[in-house]
Amino acid sequence: MQVPQDLKYTDSHEWVRVEGNLLRVGITEFAQSQLADLTFVDLPGVGDDVDAGDEVAVVESVKAASDVYAPVAGKIVEVNEALISAPEAINNDPFGDGWLFVIEPADAADVNALMDAAAYKGIIPDE
Amino acid sequence: MDIKETQLCAWHQHHGATMAEFGGYRMPLWYKSGPIKEHRAVVTAAGLFDTSHMAQILVEGPNAEELVQRSLTKDLGTCIARQHPLEPGRATYGFLLNDSGHVIDDAIVMMEETERYLLVVNAGMGATVTKHLLHLGEDLDVTVSDLTDRLSKLDLQGPASGKILQKILQPTSKLKAPFPYFSFAGHYDHLQRGVKSTRGFSVMVSRTGYTGEFGFELFVRPQDFASLWQQILDAGEEFGLLPCGLGARDSLRTGAMLPLSHQDIGDWPCVNHPWSFALPWKGGKFTKSFVGDQALLAAQPTEPHTLAFLGENGRKVEAGAEVILSGEPIGTVLTCATDMAIDLVDGEVVSLASPNAPASFAPRGLSCGFIRVNHALSVGESLILKDKRREIPVRVVTDIRPHRTARMAWPL
Repeated sequence: MQVPQDLKYTDSHEWVRVEGNLLRVGITEFAQSQLADLTFVDLPGVGDDVDAGDEVAVVESVKAASDVYAPVAGKIVEVNEALISAPEAINNDPFGDGWLFVIEPADAADVNALMDAAAYKGIIPDE
Repeated sequence: MDIKETQLCAWHQHHGATMAEFGGYRMPLWYKSGPIKEHRAVVTAAGLFDTSHMAQILVEGPNAEELVQRSLTKDLGTCIARQHPLEPGRATYGFLLNDSGHVIDDAIVMMEETERYLLVVNAGMGATVTKHLLHLGEDLDVTVSDLTDRLSKLDLQGPASGKILQKILQPTSKLKAPFPYFSFAGHYDHLQRGVKSTRGFSVMVSRTGYTGEFGFELFVRPQDFASLWQQILDAGEEFGLLPCGLGARDSLRTGAMLPLSHQDIGDWPCVNHPWSFALPWKGGKFTKSFVGDQALLAAQPTEPHTLAFLGENGRKVEAGAEVILSGEPIGTVLTCATDMAIDLVDGEVVSLASPNAPASFAPRGLSCGFIRVNHALSVGESLILKDKRREIPVRVVTDIRPHRTARMAWPL
């Protein structure tokens, strides 16, 4: 199971990539593997103000719908519209084309409170 | 209770299946290719399902017909096209009810001979239904045997199933044309019935299934089952056959308007639902008496209604979600699945199998399923389904996936 070293993680299985003063967010390979084939994605609105832990997106598989949470407080500045017609990108490339949204954090320091790759590996089951 | 395994459990796991418990058995939900590809394979090519968890019950003896008539909602005397009686080599579908008119289970009944019927019921229901039939037949000259562990079944479903079947059967096998929907040939343990695999063992081939698509259920002795499974996988490779799990089975049957026993039909009076063809109605009366008939006649006007719905996109709600009409809760969701072979094109439901599908048709799927509400609704009525996460708009429909192939003429 891939857990890229350069990303931060939440215990609800989102990954966060720091890109300048913005954070790109998706769900981890482990999360997508638990959901199986994704069939639908509900994205947040660009411009939405969110708090850390808010339900901001829904990823839906053949099996179930699951919430995706904002990893930090801030404003949604971009969403991955391509997922609307091709949600399978999350299954195929969870850390790349399968990104969900970009958030401008209210406090750039908040990202430091998230898990690093080693800590995240500790909370997912061994293969 | 111990979870049982089918013979193919190790095969499923070795081939990357995600496994889960269903009906007391550890079963594959999907394999590596995933449930979407599996669902679409059955609509456009073929899929192979391990259904050896299902139960079979043999009813035989001079009063076998009488016992089936007592227990099954379908009238054996009129259940074939043009009101003809069931005959050897033909099958029918009905419900088994208790005295209150509630569903114990649903069953496909296969007439092997004049005094011999095979009932195919749901996983884990062999013992319950056997006991029920023994009780109903106490005064009759009939034997009832649970064959569950003596018979294995797989389902080969999808429009390419016929070509695959022809590759694995000996050319002398007697599948006389026409071989219509709900007919069967051969036998699971009598070689003289003339349907044999090219590997030499006997097979019962039935044009039935649970996907709404053209295909077969194949019954063999347990010792031949793994061989048949592998034989079909090999024969089907050139046609795009995929092994399929219960995920695709559930979404396919939902799109095909077929109920899941103990979910869409169950412990409530079996009336006001889309499956009235399984009840022997004629002119507001029943054509025969059966267990539960009086309860159904009494329950008719006031009972809740079970209806099919279709969403606008792939958004689903959980089973048990509220059904809302004009702001008022009126019932609950029994089944909600996504049929990944269909989508809306200019407001019309189109399937991958539809002749009018646009050239570049890439369906994103539509949510669909069954609701149980406290009064009748018109076709087309708009409703909201609401669970803890979201509200989705849906409309009441009488059919879901168009251009299904289950009834297509075969052999051509």
